[in-house]
Amino acid sequence: MKKSVILFFVFITILILLPFLVSGYWLRVLTQTFMFAAIATGSNIIIGFTGYPAFGNIAFFGIGAYVTGVLMTKYNLSFILTLPFCALSGFLIATLLGIPLLRLKGHYFAIATIGVMEAIKEIVDNMTEITGGGMGLTLPIMEGDPAYIYKFFYYAILSIMLLTVVIAFLIFRSKFGYALRAIRIDEDAASVMGINTSLFKTISWAISGALVGIAGGAYAYWLTYIDSSTVFQTSYSVKMFAMILLGGGTTVLGPMIGAFILELVSELVWSKFIEIHGMILGLLIILIVIFIPKGLFETFKGGFSFKRIIINLRENKL
Amino acid sequence: MIILQILLNGILLGGFYALIGVGFSLVWGVTNIINLAHGAIALLGAYITLFLFQHYGFDPFLSLPFSFIPLFIFGYILQRFLLNLVVKAQIFMLLILTFGIEIFLVNFMTTFFSADFRSVTPDYAGESLIVGNIVIPYIRLGVFAICVLITLLLSLFLNKTWTGKAIKATSLDIDAAMMVGINPAKIFAITFAIASGLAGVAGSLFSLTQAFSPSVAGALTLRAFIVSILGGLGRVEGALLGGIILGIVETLSSYIIGESYKNAITLAIMVLVLVIKPTGILGKKYFAEVKH
Repeated sequence: MKKSVILFFVFITILILLPFLVSGYWLRVLTQTFMFAAIATGSNIIIGFTGYPAFGNIAFFGIGAYVTGVLMTKYNLSFILTLPFCALSGFLIATLLGIPLLRLKGHYFAIATIGVMEAIKEIVDNMTEITGGGMGLTLPIMEGDPAYIYKFFYYAILSIMLLTVVIAFLIFRSKFGYALRAIRIDEDAASVMGINTSLFKTISWAISGALVGIAGGAYAYWLTYIDSSTVFQTSYSVKMFAMILLGGGTTVLGPMIGAFILELVSELVWSKFIEIHGMILGLLIILIVIFIPKGLFETFKGGFSFKRIIINLRENKL
Repeated sequence: MIILQILLNGILLGGFYALIGVGFSLVWGVTNIINLAHGAIALLGAYITLFLFQHYGFDPFLSLPFSFIPLFIFGYILQRFLLNLVVKAQIFMLLILTFGIEIFLVNFMTTFFSADFRSVTPDYAGESLIVGNIVIPYIRLGVFAICVLITLLLSLFLNKTWTGKAIKATSLDIDAAMMVGINPAKIFAITFAIASGLAGVAGSLFSLTQAFSPSVAGALTLRAFIVSILGGLGRVEGALLGGIILGIVETLSSYIIGESYKNAITLAIMVLVLVIKPTGILGKKYFAEVKH
C-alpha cells in the first residue's frame, strides 16, 4: 500500500507540472481523462466497493451538468459556487432513488438504473422552460485567453479527480468501507453481523452520486453548451464501466488507472481511425471482459503472464 | 369510438412488441443473460429487408426467412464462441459484454448504412381496412398476425420438440440436464440463435411500420426488456400478454398525455414493476433464477 501511495504522489506532481510542458491539444485530452477518472472512481464506491452495478450512474453526471448550467444561466451564480449544488442534488436524488432501487439485486438493479437515467433524460428534455429542452443550454463563456482557459479547466478537473480519489480512499480505509465490502461479499451475513445494509448501501450510492455530479457540473462549464444527449450518454456509462473493469473495482486507484489507459489508448487509436472508433470501443470492451474480467491489478499481481488469462477463461466458461 | 381505435392500435403494436420481447425473454430465462444487443440484432434484420427491397424489389414480407436464417447463424456463433466463454462470470460482466456487442453492431451499421432514417415502403403501404369508423392499415394487421403466429409456433416448439424440451430442461436444472445427455453449451447456443433469428424477423417487420436508424437499437432493447419483465422470464404466453399491455399503455399515454412523455411513462412502468415484482406479472421464480 505504501509504495502505491508514493507512486500516486509522484504521478500527481507530474500532472501538476505538465501544463507548462505540453500543447493545448494534450491538455484537452488529459482534462477529459481526469473527468472520466473522476466519474469512474466516484461510481466505483457503489459499483466496486458495495457491489451494486449502477449502470446508469451517468444520470448524476447529467444532473450535475444541468444544475451548473441552469444556476449559471438563470441565476448568474459563479461556476465554483454551483459545484456544491451539483454534489447536493446528486446526493439527494441518489438517496431518494436508493430507497426503492437498492432492494433490487444484480441485473435487475443495473437495468433499473438505466431506466432511471433514461427517464431523467426524458424529463430534462420536456422541461423546456428551465433546461432549454431539445435546443440545449448555452452557458456563459469564460473570459480570458484560450491558454488560460485550458489551464483553468485542467486544474479544476484535476482537483475534482483528486478530491474523488481522496474521498474514495478515506471510505475504503474506514469502518464504513469495511461494511460496504462486507455487503458486496455477502449481504445477508453482513446484515446478521449488525450492519444496517440498506442505510449503508444508500449512503454509498449518495456519495457516489454527489461526486459524479460535481464532475458533470465542471464538464458543463468546460463545454459551454450542453444538451440532454451529450450529458446523459449511455456510451459514457459503458466507458466508465470498462475503466472500472480494466483497473479492477476492488481497489481505490484501479478505476483511475483504467481511465488513464483507456482514454489515452483510445485517443491514440481513434485519432487515426475516426470512422470506426465506435466499433473499436465495442471490441475493446468485449476483449476486456473475456480476458481480464478481474481487472489488470488483480490478474497480473505478480507480473504479466498468459497463464493467468487462461485461468480466467477456464473459470468463467460454461 | 376514438378510444376503440386507440385500443386497437395498441393491440396491433403489442403484437410486434411480443415478438421482439419473446426471444429476449427466452435468452434471459434460459441462460440468465440480459442481451443488451437484442435491439441492434433486430435492426440488422431491418437492414437486410431494406437491402433486399431496394436492390432486388423483394416484398418485405417475403424477406422474413432471409433475415431469420443469417441472424440465427450469427446468434449461434455469438453464444457458442463468445458468450459461453464468460457465462459463469459475475452477472454484470455479461451485461457489459452484450453492451460492448451492441456498441459494435450499432457503429457497424452506422458506418455501412449511415445514421440516416430509412423506411421500407411497398406499393400497398398506404392501404387500409375500414370497418365503420375504424381504420386498420393492412401492413399493421399483417405484422400483427405474423408476430402472433410466430410466438405461438415458438410455444409449440418449446413444448413439443426434443430440442424445445431440452431448452426448458436446461433452464430448470442445468446439472440434471447434463446427466440425461443434454449439452448445455449447445442448448445455450441454440436458444440464443432462435432469439436472434426472431429478433431479425421482428426487425424486418419493424422496418415496414416505422422509419428506423441505428440509433433506435436501444429503444427496441428497452421494449424487449419491459415485455419480459411484464410477462415473466422465458414465458412465451407472458411475452404476448406483456407486449399487448405495453402497446396499449404506449398508445393510450401518447393520446392522453402526449407523445413526448411516452418513453418516460414506459420507463416509469418498468421501474415500478421491477421494484414491486421483479419476476413479472405472470412470472414466478423461474428458469435460471431458481438455482441461485
